[in-house]
Amino acid sequence: MQLRRQPLSAPRPGDTRPAAQRLAVPLLLLLALQGAAASGGPEDSGWLQDAEPSSRLLSQAARAALHFFNFRAASPSALQVLANVLDGRSWVNQKKEYKFDLVFTTEFYSAEEGEKRLGKCSAQVFFRNEKPRPAVNVTCTQLVKKERRQEEDYQLYKLMKQLKSPLNAVSIPDSHGYIAPSLRPIWDLAFLGSSYVMWQKSTPFLHYYMSQISSVKQWKTNDDAIDFDYTVLLHEFSTQEIIPCRIHLVWYPSKPLKVKYHCQERQTPEEASGTEEGSAVALTELSNF
Amino acid sequence: MSLPQTPYNYSLTQPLYDWHPWNMKWILFFGALIGSGICDRETFSGHQVFRINIRNEDEISKLNRLVNSDNLKLDLWKSPSTLGHPADVLVPSFSLQEVKSFLEDHGLEYSVAIEDLQNVLDSEHQQLQRNVRQELSNNCFNYGAYHTLEDIHKEMDSIVKSYPHLVSAVKIGHSFENRLMYVLKFSTGKGRQRPAILLNAGIHAREWISSATAIWTARKIACDYGRDLVITSILEKMDIFLLPVANPDGYVYTHTHNRLWRKTRSVNPRSTCIGADPNRNWDSHFGGVGTSNDPCSDTYHGLHAHSEVEVKSVADFITNHGDFKCLIDLHSYSQLVMYPYGYTTSRVPDADELDMVARNASKAMASLSGTQYQVGSVGSTVYTASGNTIDWAYDNGIKYAFSFELRDTGFYAFALPADQIIPTAQETWLGLKTIMEHVRNNI
Repeated sequence: MQLRRQPLSAPRPGDTRPAAQRLAVPLLLLLALQGAAASGGPEDSGWLQDAEPSSRLLSQAARAALHFFNFRAASPSALQVLANVLDGRSWVNQKKEYKFDLVFTTEFYSAEEGEKRLGKCSAQVFFRNEKPRPAVNVTCTQLVKKERRQEEDYQLYKLMKQLKSPLNAVSIPDSHGYIAPSLRPIWDLAFLGSSYVMWQKSTPFLHYYMSQISSVKQWKTNDDAIDFDYTVLLHEFSTQEIIPCRIHLVWYPSKPLKVKYHCQERQTPEEASGTEEGSAVALTELSNF
Repeated sequence: MSLPQTPYNYSLTQPLYDWHPWNMKWILFFGALIGSGICDRETFSGHQVFRINIRNEDEISKLNRLVNSDNLKLDLWKSPSTLGHPADVLVPSFSLQEVKSFLEDHGLEYSVAIEDLQNVLDSEHQQLQRNVRQELSNNCFNYGAYHTLEDIHKEMDSIVKSYPHLVSAVKIGHSFENRLMYVLKFSTGKGRQRPAILLNAGIHAREWISSATAIWTARKIACDYGRDLVITSILEKMDIFLLPVANPDGYVYTHTHNRLWRKTRSVNPRSTCIGADPNRNWDSHFGGVGTSNDPCSDTYHGLHAHSEVEVKSVADFITNHGDFKCLIDLHSYSQLVMYPYGYTTSRVPDADELDMVARNASKAMASLSGTQYQVGSVGSTVYTASGNTIDWAYDNGIKYAFSFELRDTGFYAFALPADQIIPTAQETWLGLKTIMEHVRNNI
């Protein structure tokens, strides 16, 4: 890894920020994470820019940004996944913390066959040592107009309200990869909840996929909101471990997602306690300009 | 590659096989569709085979002129290797009149050996199907579904039985729980040792698509031999060994207990945790970066190199054979075509060539359904992983060592729906053929 020393006053002095150019793109859905920026920011820590950032690292940072985006958008009908990283810079400091500046394309999680619409996002991602989750500032083009997205969420919500309790569903998908069409909304909602967890747990070296819903503890729809308590099996790619996470979420269309989780980390001699608890959303409200 | 009208088109050079039109065995090459719908079928309706007497040099040059004319689309099946032996030419229905005129104008003696090729093929095909149907059980193997170990092994038996002149069963050892390590050998070598290719699948238990692709590929190789020029020419020079389930204990465990199990099922002496990662157990930078020494880890490297009997069986088999040129290891998921090394991000000496071959394979795979497979070395593409299969292969003289990660990119991950098995197998086949053809042309 070749490093170039940069002046400490700003990450990239004098450069035209490609991200700034892209901010001129119309129809922006702007998400800003205000509260998580720590005092004693990047300026203090001696950031060295990586001259040849590995595409793997950039992809992992982009995924973390997308998990956060999906969580904050709280829209199970408009979940996004990473398509390609177009541009990326990375920095590391003496404390071995990582910072990324990225531009990447996305596609719909639930894309129909042949549907190939690409979205575009720019993001800054900051992996700090003290706090488990990366700080993310992400801006994405709107793949779907807000009204249409809300309408589709509402349709999903109505479908879910009609679902008889799927408590006897053994696993979704089953061993043969099959998800019954009627259970598909559950999968999407579970992915939304998992996005919060995967955002929380992502590091430059750990990235996650949702493998399977292994059990549904509770599915309540008698109040307005959907109250969903389930266990999901997350697959961490670099260690290849399967991590069961119990997730409890409450969702109502167009409202922020409320979620709690508890993951069962594999106990190893090196690690401390393997359990983790995320509190319900206390972050700033969704801001829409 | 588009199919010529006969499986072989070697013009006036010595044909691949000693054709004898009245020997019905070669008919098998055309129409052996064994129930599962994998082979393509062409029609030869109205096509005729002419047998032309060649008496002198002059008549040879006349024959050349005839056969080489582009618009007639003739196919020389048997060349007149010595004077006095006739030439057999396949004439498509639209050229019949012109060919007859030419032969008569130039005084060439001929007879029509086969009046309608399609009739011959149809009747032979029916006969063959009858034979095969008698042998197959009532439940035909569904290639578009996932199967138990037992059913996969039964289907392997069936392929051996259906193609006895091409396929044989090779039992290379047993797993920890004493299950068969069952390899299919595809060979036209008639027992002579030939340079070989190993297609290795299912080393990680939960990667079901790997084994499903492998068993489809087994049937495809058997079926397409004699029909597809590429695979036929590969098998002319090399043997192909195919191991659909390299980790049978793990595979069974994913059916009986835990769909997401990865490792073997060996007992660890000082731990309650079971199994080691067979793709970290090879004797190449064993225990290095990207492995764990914790038996409970999914990347536990095992007690020592080749401690897992499943790995040792394959390693010994390759070593004892002594002439493997290519090893392709099938995994899922991520959609990648990768080459060594995994233990480091440094480039192997042959990186340029391997990268080019991998890119060509990826292009071929995308040509079918647009599925994108990224290319690179293991270490620089996924993660460092010491002691993996293709590192060992490369370090032991097998230059053409590749690791595939099949569909998908994380949506279904390991639980890839069954309706994607055949599309995945079909596109993977194009990638495999690209690599194997390059190997054949470069050894």
